[in-house]
Amino acid sequence: MTKISLRKMMILGVTFAFPIILFGQNANELLKQIDENLMPEAYESYRKLINKEPDGTAKEFVFYTVKKDNDKVAMLYIEPASDRGRATLRLDENMWMYIPNVGRPIRITSMQSVVGGVFNNSDIMHLDYGAEYNADILSEDDKIYVLNLKANNRTVAYDHLKMWVLKDGLTIDKIECYSATDILLKTLEFKAMKDFGNGLVRPSVIETYSPLYKGYRSVMIYASITPRKLPDEVFTLNYLSRLEELR
Amino acid sequence: MKRYLILILITVSLFAQDYSFDIPGTEKKTLEWSGNLDGKYSVTQMRTESPFYQLQFPASLSDYLSQYKMELYLNADYRTRDMGFHLKTHSSYYNDSNAGFDLFEAYGNYNLSFNTNICLGKQMFNWGKGYAFNPVGFVNPFKDPENPELAQAGLLSMSFETIKSFQNNWLKTVALTGIVIPPNETINERYGEIDNTEFAFKGYGLIWDTDMDVMAYFNKNGLSKYGADFSLNLKENIEIHGESAFFIDDTISHFANGQLTKSVKDGKSWLFGMRYLNKWNTTIVAEYYHNDFGWSDSDWDSYLNVVDMAVSNNMQPSSMPSMGMTSMQNYLYLKVTQPEPFDMVYFSPSIYAIYNLEDKSAIIGAPISYSPVNNFSVTFWPTIMIGNEDSEFGSKQIKSKFDLWVKYYF
Repeated sequence: MTKISLRKMMILGVTFAFPIILFGQNANELLKQIDENLMPEAYESYRKLINKEPDGTAKEFVFYTVKKDNDKVAMLYIEPASDRGRATLRLDENMWMYIPNVGRPIRITSMQSVVGGVFNNSDIMHLDYGAEYNADILSEDDKIYVLNLKANNRTVAYDHLKMWVLKDGLTIDKIECYSATDILLKTLEFKAMKDFGNGLVRPSVIETYSPLYKGYRSVMIYASITPRKLPDEVFTLNYLSRLEELR
Repeated sequence: MKRYLILILITVSLFAQDYSFDIPGTEKKTLEWSGNLDGKYSVTQMRTESPFYQLQFPASLSDYLSQYKMELYLNADYRTRDMGFHLKTHSSYYNDSNAGFDLFEAYGNYNLSFNTNICLGKQMFNWGKGYAFNPVGFVNPFKDPENPELAQAGLLSMSFETIKSFQNNWLKTVALTGIVIPPNETINERYGEIDNTEFAFKGYGLIWDTDMDVMAYFNKNGLSKYGADFSLNLKENIEIHGESAFFIDDTISHFANGQLTKSVKDGKSWLFGMRYLNKWNTTIVAEYYHNDFGWSDSDWDSYLNVVDMAVSNNMQPSSMPSMGMTSMQNYLYLKVTQPEPFDMVYFSPSIYAIYNLEDKSAIIGAPISYSPVNNFSVTFWPTIMIGNEDSEFGSKQIKSKFDLWVKYYF
C-alpha cells in the first residue's frame, strides 16, 4: 500500500511539477528576450535624468553610460557642473561611486540614490532583469504578458517585480517594484518608442513614481544607445577616474 | 463635434511632451575648465579662557569674531585618447594683504594600454575605506574628518598602475599600484639625497564581492608601514568597512618631564565602520578609530601645561608644537544625513559628531545644505565643541562656530 502510494505520489509529482518547471523556463527565456530587446549586450549611451519635485521645479542630470555583458555598468556624470567627473560602477550587485575631490571610489548600496529623486542606484545602473530575477508568467491575454520576477539573491534592490510586457515587439510597458513584505515601492512606466538604429527599437523614456515619495516623479530619457564593446578593465574601480577618455 | 475636436487637440498638446535633448560634449573638447567659487562667512564664539586662545590672541578681544573669505577652485583637464594633463588649483582671498594660491594637483598621465597607465607630477592619492579617518592612508593628504570631501593637495610622485579583470565568481579584478616619492627633505630647497626616495605599493582585489587592499610604504630610515583594508555590502542597504595598519620604526611625539620628545617605536592603527540606509532614506555612517601613535590623556595634560607656561612667558604661538584635530588615541564618528525631510525639497540636513573616547569631549556639527538650482548651493553649518576645560575639544580656542557657505560651480 505504502509502495503504491509512493509510486502514485511520484507520478503525480512529476506530472504536475514538469509543466511548472517548463513554465518557469519559458518565462526566463521570455525575460532573456525582453532584455535583449531592451539593450544590446554591450553599448554606450547618453541619457538625461529629470527629478521633478512636488513644487513643480526640476533638476536635470546627463550621464554617459557604458555596459558590457549582464553584470557590468559604468556611468559618468556630464551635467550639471557641480557633479561633473563623478562616476559610478556596478559589477553584479557591487556598486561604487567616485567623487573627484575625494579621489577614491566609495562603496554604495543599491537602495541609495546618488542623484536623489525616485530612481535609486539599482534603477540608474540597471542590469539585465534576467541577471537579477527569476521569472514566472502570472497571466497573459492577446496583447500583454504579466510576469512575476523574484530576486535571485538578497542584495538585489527589490524582492520581486510585476512586469507588464507588450507581446507586440516584446517590450516592457510597466513594472511595479515590491519589497519582501509586498509593499509597492515604485512604479516604472516605459514610453515613447524610438528607433535607436542597429535594429534597436525600444521605449526611450522611463518615468517613475512612488507612494513613498508622494508628489515626486523622476524621468529617464535615452538620447542614444550605440553598440560598443570595451575591455573588461574599463569596468574596474581604477578606471573610474578615466571614463571621460572613452567619450 | 468641432468643439470635441478642439478639446481633444488641446488635451493632446497639453500632455504631449518633447523628450529630445542635445547631448552635451558630443563635439569632443580636449581641454576643459571647471571649478567652483566659494564665499564663506563665519561667526566664531571664542573660548577666551582657553590657553590656546590666550596664546593666539594676547590682546583682549570680543567674544565673537567674524571672518569672510573667498575661495576659488579652478581645474583644467586636457585629454586625448592616450594621454592627459590635469591641473587643480586653489586660491583664497581674505583681503588685499592676505591672499594665497595652492597647486593641489598638476600631473600628466600616459595610458600604455586600457589596463596600464603611468602618472608623473603632483597627484592626490586616497587610500583606505574609512569615511572620516584612514589608518592606511600612507600617501594621503591631511584629511579633515569634519569635511572629508574637501579637495586636498596631492603628492609629488611618479606612479604606475595596472589592472586585470577576470571572469569568475570569486575573483573579478586585481590592480597593482606602485608609487615613487622623491625625497621630502631638500638641500637649498631643490635637491634631495637619492637615498631618501620613498616607495609605496598597493594591491587591490575584488574577491568574493569584497574590496580588499594590501599596502606597504618604505623609506631608507627603516620606517615601514603595512596595511590592509576591506569593504563589502552585507545587504542592499548596509555596507561595512575596516582598515588596519602596522608601523615599524615610526616616530612618535610625546611628553616626558614636561618636554615634547620624539622616539621611534612600532605601533598599529585601525578602524571599523558601517554605512546604513533606512526606509526613510536616512543614511547613517558610524566609525570607530584607534591610533597607537595618538596622544594619551597624560600627554594631553602635559601639552596643556606647556601651553599654559608659554602663555605665562608671553611666547609666540609659532614656538609651540601645533596639534591638529583628532590627535589622540580613540575616537567614535557618527554622521546622520536626511535628504529632503518633511517634503522640504532641495534641503539636505545632517548632523555629525566626533567623540574623543579618552576624555569624553566632542565636536558636533549640523550642516544644512540648500540647493534650489543646479550648480548653486548654500550651506549653513553650526558647530560646537564640548567637553571639560582640560579635554581636547573642551580646551580649543573655539567654543562654537556658525558658517554660511555659498558655492557656485562652473
